[in-house]
Amino acid sequence: MDMNEIKEIFFQECEEQLAELESGLLKLNDGDRDPETVNAVFRAVHSIKGGAGAFGLDDLVSFAHVFETTLDCVRSNRLDPGPEVLKVMLKSADVLADLTNAARDGGSVDEARSRQLIKELEALANGEVLQASAVAEPVVKAAPAVAAPVVNDEGFQPVAFSFDDFEADEPALMEMPTYEIVFKPKSDLYAKGNEATLLLRDLSRLGDMSIHCDMDALPTLDRLSPESAYFSWKVSLKTDKGEDAIRTVFEFAEWDCDLEVSLVSDDAAAPSEELPMQPVPFDLSILDDEPAVSVGVIEEEEQLAAQQAIRDAAVSAAGTASNVLQMAQSATRTPAEKSAGAAASAAAQSAAAQQAAASAATPTIRVDLDRVDRLINLVGELVINQAMLSQSVIENDANGTSSINMGLEELQQLTREIQDSVMAIRAQPVKPVFQRMSRIVREIADMTGKSVRLITEGENTEVDKTVIDKLAEPLTHMIRNAVDHGLETPEKRLAAGKSAEGTVRLTAKHRSGRIVIELADDGAGINREKVRQKAIDNDLIAADANLSDEEIDNLIFHAGFSTADKISDISGRGVGMDVVKRSIQALGGRINISSKPGHGSVFIMSLPLTLAVLDGMVVTVANQTLVVPLTAIVETLQPEAAAIHSFGSNQRLISIRNSFCPLVDVGRILNFRASQANPVEGVALLVESEGGGQRALMVDAIQGQRQVVIKSLEANYTHVPGIAAATILGDGRVALILDVDTIVAASRGQSLKPEMSLAAAG
Amino acid sequence: MASKKTAHKTLSLAPVLDLNEATALHEKLLGLKGSDLVIDASAVERVGTLCVQVLMAGAKTWEEDHLSFTFSKVSDAFEKTTQLIGVDIDHLMAKEI
Repeated sequence: MDMNEIKEIFFQECEEQLAELESGLLKLNDGDRDPETVNAVFRAVHSIKGGAGAFGLDDLVSFAHVFETTLDCVRSNRLDPGPEVLKVMLKSADVLADLTNAARDGGSVDEARSRQLIKELEALANGEVLQASAVAEPVVKAAPAVAAPVVNDEGFQPVAFSFDDFEADEPALMEMPTYEIVFKPKSDLYAKGNEATLLLRDLSRLGDMSIHCDMDALPTLDRLSPESAYFSWKVSLKTDKGEDAIRTVFEFAEWDCDLEVSLVSDDAAAPSEELPMQPVPFDLSILDDEPAVSVGVIEEEEQLAAQQAIRDAAVSAAGTASNVLQMAQSATRTPAEKSAGAAASAAAQSAAAQQAAASAATPTIRVDLDRVDRLINLVGELVINQAMLSQSVIENDANGTSSINMGLEELQQLTREIQDSVMAIRAQPVKPVFQRMSRIVREIADMTGKSVRLITEGENTEVDKTVIDKLAEPLTHMIRNAVDHGLETPEKRLAAGKSAEGTVRLTAKHRSGRIVIELADDGAGINREKVRQKAIDNDLIAADANLSDEEIDNLIFHAGFSTADKISDISGRGVGMDVVKRSIQALGGRINISSKPGHGSVFIMSLPLTLAVLDGMVVTVANQTLVVPLTAIVETLQPEAAAIHSFGSNQRLISIRNSFCPLVDVGRILNFRASQANPVEGVALLVESEGGGQRALMVDAIQGQRQVVIKSLEANYTHVPGIAAATILGDGRVALILDVDTIVAASRGQSLKPEMSLAAAG
Repeated sequence: MASKKTAHKTLSLAPVLDLNEATALHEKLLGLKGSDLVIDASAVERVGTLCVQVLMAGAKTWEEDHLSFTFSKVSDAFEKTTQLIGVDIDHLMAKEI
């Protein structure tokens, strides 16, 4: 594994930490005062700094350090995280993300901005308490110096605790809770240059410690492997620093040892006699006046260098190590999330709960996306192959041996399960995309002088990674539009009787096999008069066109449309919404807008969960086999002659339960045949189309329902209007997957482009 | 070095007994097997867990061989570290003198 790969792992971890950081800060912004949240935020910055130091990324280190110092003030309750403080912190998180990106991709950073923020952060750290400045100043200066030892120095600083506190607490020693710590180093701990004695020494500094060394595992000399771990410890520690402080001691070693921390009792009666250990009274001086420490600083540095070595080793050890690392991280993260709501008063219980959560955390591994894609492709082939096999068995073996048929059925179920599981691998929560949006909202709110609050819901809704990746861009466009065009200025809002702060709500949820993402703002809504006038000016509609509100709203998706009076830097060059619509459609999704003047607009996007498979209705149209996505179909029916009504030159309606629904002749629209089909001989598929209206798609016959593997037409052939993609059927033939929305739109008179229809017909 | 009847050997420990020293110490001890051993830990400035493990494994081995394994002198650092990590060496301290 070369340096670049290690660095890549570091940056991947940075991304995770940055996400953690941002979500933590946003929680604080919402009034969450759980110490775990603060700790999670702190840890995120701390880890980034530690890693950055190892790679000599000085800019990143020095900024992270200042940030960390300020966060430490929050952590130790010296600084109240009010709205102003959090504003600075959120900006700092953005700059930290920029610095990380710059370090990865070599881009440049707005230095004036980061310098300004460093000043603000320092002011925050200094402003509240004098001690803070004493801590911050000297180390800040040291930060840009040579990487390793300095970083360690810093790296350790927040872990350290105040001896003043310790002494102050000493009289209260009797009331301190007692923790029982079981510490079993693994051989790796030593292999990575860590030293149990130093960890135990740090532990002893947290409070009153008694220790028992378990030597049962120790073999005789000839069977001893001198670099393996045999000793393990049971420690009883009276401390008021909390479980976190204890775990922090083992922070750099936690994945190389088994560590159990449990709260034994809250009162002084915690009987160390009950434990099979020798109470060893500790006066801290014994460690300080030992001969080697006559050069105390060097000792300290060596210890820190050892810690650094572990970090390095952890990073550099091959892929497995990185996996373990991630496991360890997810283990540390989980308690933070799980205990978010826990009341501070229930500290003891939550400590126990955290530990349970930590041990229950699911381990994860990092896998190359290519590998997953290859697997998905292969499973797709397997599904096709299985279908072909079934078909040929059915064709060749008319009497159908039951054992073969049963075997085939089982095979079908298995392939289906395999496919679902493989798809689940690619499924990711939309959280990262949503988090990116909060930054965009902040920045645009700043630029436009508006006050905006972004509320996200359902961030854990999972969807295929490809969808997530392609979602970010249209969503960014829409968020920009919502803040820039949708929301009014604070003055206008107040005048309209609303609060000065605008709200943008971003929600994700699963609905009938699709993911639905809603973006709602509480702004002025769409000015329909203006939109209409603009559309007339741009020759998009005739001046006397009679449009419904919904149709007017949907005009904003036309190319070259912007209603902003002035073109701003942020949005409004008129390339926004049509691009958004195209991107969403390219994902097999739909987008809709509904707007209430004075109350804001809601954009609703509905997207498929995966781009790899689709549940479809296989139908025949003019001897062609087509697949209609099942999600679009509301119901199927056999039309009766009496229900069909003609009007106009060639339009027909079907009457369903006392309402009329336009009949769409699929074969005609795709140019599969020249004449109109007789509806009575075919089947009508009632589909929900874009805009909410229902249409009846007319096909000749239904073959059945099946899951099909989507093969891109664009990638293999070329785009065909009216056709979303293709698939391979069990008999080996290619079937086209219908793009219902385009077909419906074409039936409204916006016919498919002729040259393209030829392609479709051929 | 020989005393009255049974030859006992002495081992003076190096000042720094860190992680890198464990293998060397292990080999040294293996080479001294079969006779009483007196260990001089007075020069030790720093000792790590691995070396303590090796020494304790030595004590166990010597005990099984019914030979004596004692520390004649220990430095403060050595004593404090063993104390810190909960390893009791009192019973291994040389009784004479």
